[in-house]
Amino acid sequence: MSTEAAPARAAAAPATFVRRRPPVAVRRKRFLVGVATHSLLIVGAIVFLLPFVFILLTSLMTSQQALSPRLWPQPFAWHNYIDVFSKAPLWRYALNTLLYGGLATLGLLVSSIPVAYALSRLRWRGRDAVFLITLVALMLPPQVTIVPVYVLWAKLHLVGSLWPLIVPNWLGDAFSIFLLRQFFLTIPEEYLDAARVDGCGEFRILTTVVLRLAKPAIAAVALFSFLFCFNDFFGPLLYTGESSQHWTLSLGLSQFRSLYQVQWNLVMAATLIVMAPVIVLFFLAQRAFVEGVTLTGVKG
Amino acid sequence: MRAPAASPPIQLDRTAAKRRAAWRRRGIVLAFMSPWLVGFTVFFAYPLVMSAYLSFTHYDLLSSPKWIGLANYRFLFTKDQTVWPAVKNTLWFIAIAVPLQVLFALGIAVMLSRARKGVGAFRTVFYLPALAPPVAATLGFVYLLNPATGPVNTILEKAGIQGPLWFDSPQWSKPSLTLLALWGVGNTMIIFLAAVLDVPQHLYESAQLDGAGFIARVRFVMLPTISPVILFAVVLGVIEGMQYFTQAYVAANVAGGSASYSAEAANALGYPEDSTLFYPVLLYQQGFRYFNMGYASAMAMLLLAVSFAVTFIIVQNSRRFVHYQGPGR
Amino acid sequence: MRRALTLTLLLALTLGVSACGGSKKSSPSTSTGETKVEPANITMWTPFVDPELQTLKAVVKDFEATHAGIHVKVIGGTNDDKIVAAIRGGNAPDVAQSFSSDNTGAFCPSGAWIDLGSYMKKDGVDASIFPTAPRDYTTFEGTRCALPMLADTYGLYYNKDLLAKAGYKSPPKTISQLTAMAKKLTVRDANGKLKVVGFNPFPSWYENVPAHYGPSWGAQWMNGDKSSLNTPPWQDQLKWQKSLVDWYGYDNLVRFNAGAGDEFSASNAFETGKVAMHMDGEWRVNFIKKEAPKLNYGTAAFPVADNKQDLYGAGYVTGSIIGIPKTSKHKNQAWLLVKYLGTNTPALAKLSNGIQNVPTTSASLKSPALTPLPGFQTFLNVFGNANTTTTPITRIGAANQETFQSFISKYISGSKTDLEGGLANVDKQIDNQLEQANAGQAP
Repeated sequence: MSTEAAPARAAAAPATFVRRRPPVAVRRKRFLVGVATHSLLIVGAIVFLLPFVFILLTSLMTSQQALSPRLWPQPFAWHNYIDVFSKAPLWRYALNTLLYGGLATLGLLVSSIPVAYALSRLRWRGRDAVFLITLVALMLPPQVTIVPVYVLWAKLHLVGSLWPLIVPNWLGDAFSIFLLRQFFLTIPEEYLDAARVDGCGEFRILTTVVLRLAKPAIAAVALFSFLFCFNDFFGPLLYTGESSQHWTLSLGLSQFRSLYQVQWNLVMAATLIVMAPVIVLFFLAQRAFVEGVTLTGVKG
Repeated sequence: MRAPAASPPIQLDRTAAKRRAAWRRRGIVLAFMSPWLVGFTVFFAYPLVMSAYLSFTHYDLLSSPKWIGLANYRFLFTKDQTVWPAVKNTLWFIAIAVPLQVLFALGIAVMLSRARKGVGAFRTVFYLPALAPPVAATLGFVYLLNPATGPVNTILEKAGIQGPLWFDSPQWSKPSLTLLALWGVGNTMIIFLAAVLDVPQHLYESAQLDGAGFIARVRFVMLPTISPVILFAVVLGVIEGMQYFTQAYVAANVAGGSASYSAEAANALGYPEDSTLFYPVLLYQQGFRYFNMGYASAMAMLLLAVSFAVTFIIVQNSRRFVHYQGPGR
Repeated sequence: MRRALTLTLLLALTLGVSACGGSKKSSPSTSTGETKVEPANITMWTPFVDPELQTLKAVVKDFEATHAGIHVKVIGGTNDDKIVAAIRGGNAPDVAQSFSSDNTGAFCPSGAWIDLGSYMKKDGVDASIFPTAPRDYTTFEGTRCALPMLADTYGLYYNKDLLAKAGYKSPPKTISQLTAMAKKLTVRDANGKLKVVGFNPFPSWYENVPAHYGPSWGAQWMNGDKSSLNTPPWQDQLKWQKSLVDWYGYDNLVRFNAGAGDEFSASNAFETGKVAMHMDGEWRVNFIKKEAPKLNYGTAAFPVADNKQDLYGAGYVTGSIIGIPKTSKHKNQAWLLVKYLGTNTPALAKLSNGIQNVPTTSASLKSPALTPLPGFQTFLNVFGNANTTTTPITRIGAANQETFQSFISKYISGSKTDLEGGLANVDKQIDNQLEQANAGQAP
């Protein structure tokens, strides 16, 4: 658009730029489209919620009813939720999950933030090549490296504990590094230069300036990391599969069915119990969640 | 303004100082990068090399690896009859489930972007299932789709339709897993929603002025603008498809697991009839149930090659469809 | 060396028994034929869960009482995967029990479970105290790395009430009788869905694995060292199974199974009367007593093929095996527990009574302490039958059975229709697997 035409158009605009109500036909069409959209959304929402509803209903049935085609529990077996805890050591699994998630997330933050900073705000030779390599590492299925890594842990006699799952997070995580780096890139250089002029070393800059500015990104990364550990199944299966005292909630839930004879009502109750913390966490940290997910997509 | 060149002592000092500063900078970079350096070497570079080496050996972790040359690869490509069903299953998932997921997420995002009221509530509802831990979600779905007692078939029966056998049918087991995946598209949906809402309004308006209807506007304005995000979602979906393990493992065990006294849980892997035997599941079975670690390493090498190839193909072809925004956004 | 000496002397002083000083190796036997070892805490892993786990723990307590200083921690609910993984991970227990003898071929040659030969010789335990089949499934290529501990045999359970209602007074003895009775005993509801199944032949449901059915047709797994599944006995067995499944309707059986209870729960299909006749192991007797005491049932040897009627009375036998993983740090103490559980007659009798499994030494079979429940005698007879067989032990463990089962499920469902071609293919696959397993071995 040339700059000459703009003023002319702007001058002519106020005269003709009056918002009129669109003709009835258009309004009706928009209304119908709106109704259609909303109906579809409502149907979709119901379909998405139905599984939760059925799981809840089944968890309140007696064992015989769960095996029958009945849809509505009668009577309501609220004590299922207590029985579940006596059938499987869910508290121990929860503790293990917390240990794994907490220690892994902590280590991940401590190790990934400096790396992301170095990859984004420090200038050095080979920096972009290294970043490309971390991207490549992201795309690799874990099954490719799983055999030698397992052998390594077996030789260290750590198979059967949670350490093989926790320790690698203390050495940086490709996804977190990627996310944090993308975010750090958006920090204006002026802030960092101001700190450098004040005599701050890079480490001081990192801890005082960058950390404060990057709080949402760090929160998102921490949230994702904890969620990943909470949901992780393959890792615990591989490394703690044969020592049930170290099982996490995910693993414990999957084994709930085969160790203790199938009682679907209890399995569904346990399923809800395992789902609950995540859903609660979501409602408490909703904004961080959505921002974080958006961060991955928009900055990715 | 620089001092005249004839003052050697100051210049020497500066060079030495510069060198010290350069070393200090390198030291700082090294310090900051050290976690990644160690982690990358120990958990990526070394295992990659070891995997390649182990793929030429017979190794069961009880004795040291024995070199057998290409025997593993020969078995992999010519004699093992479980590998190609596994490859086909994984490819099925990538070719069918991943695009469906992307389309479904995009569809919901587009509808949400046009909704006036209650967007927040709808968004929450559609996102919630993505939060469910995969194991929990899978267990829920296996129960829901139980051919005899599950609510889905019960309701279908009331409507006069005899529901399929879902997780117990070789034809329906992968579609059942796909339904489970569709239930969990919340993450992708949120990303698409943000991208769709980000499309500049004036682009739609100019298209409208040019006479474009809704479909045309979607095709020529929205899709190209969000094409980088679509690419991102597709690549992510393909990567996840290559690693697809948990849901298949849990579903096969639970649906197929009328465990007999001496049968182990992993017996049911691939139930029914190898239809849920995805490549990572087979790899796990070979490496960590039968402990053919050499053979599993050969399988891993194949997975590596295919992952690279597929990602490369997608990214190469994406140049035709993806329009990256210029600086004048 | 010196510390061990001091320790042993101290031990000798406190126990008041003279012992030869020395290293940690066991000292020469005393008059009871037992080696004296130092006190230790050892762990034992077992697949048993409650209530059977309690019986095992009680017997282990008896062991502790007679072997002062050795404390055993028993962990239940394990399985072969876990044991194998633990050995490879380097933190296996001192004594491991496996429910299936299939893995002997994996444990023995690799040394995952140690060779017990020298321990047996030292303590005067001779392999002849075990009947033929258990003796065979605990050795591989001459190395004995496990002792049998309780065996399982399989036979026919039948619901006397349901049979009587259909006019039957005695259980079937041949396969055609079984088939006819199964059809008559089946009840469908108004929609055609199966309510009561006379006999459920669906592959891999509960105990329906080929290993259990093979003996009724006299089928052999191996011919020498080649897989021999493409032979008339197996073909007949599969043809029978498919025709009966087709009579029920494949999908109908899938739905029935999906709604049937779990095998080891109180909703077990046979215990709740949903299935009239059933192939199961001898332990079911105990479960019925605890979970469905009012069930009016009987047991008999499993029917045999019409052209193999001389085989009637035989069946399939497999059993638990116990051994010492090579990573154990207390092998001598572990051996004492293994010996106790595997050869001590009162211990075996107590285990058998509590768990209702078959005891695995000839002495314990005749022990007056045995109190089998009614219905259990059938299985003791099957165990003693000369034609009762087990699956051959190979280096690939249970992989051959799983390969076979994979084909069977496809054949029965109709995905694969060429029986002989398919069986020949399975033979080829198993031979390939064996070849691959042997590839890493020294010639």
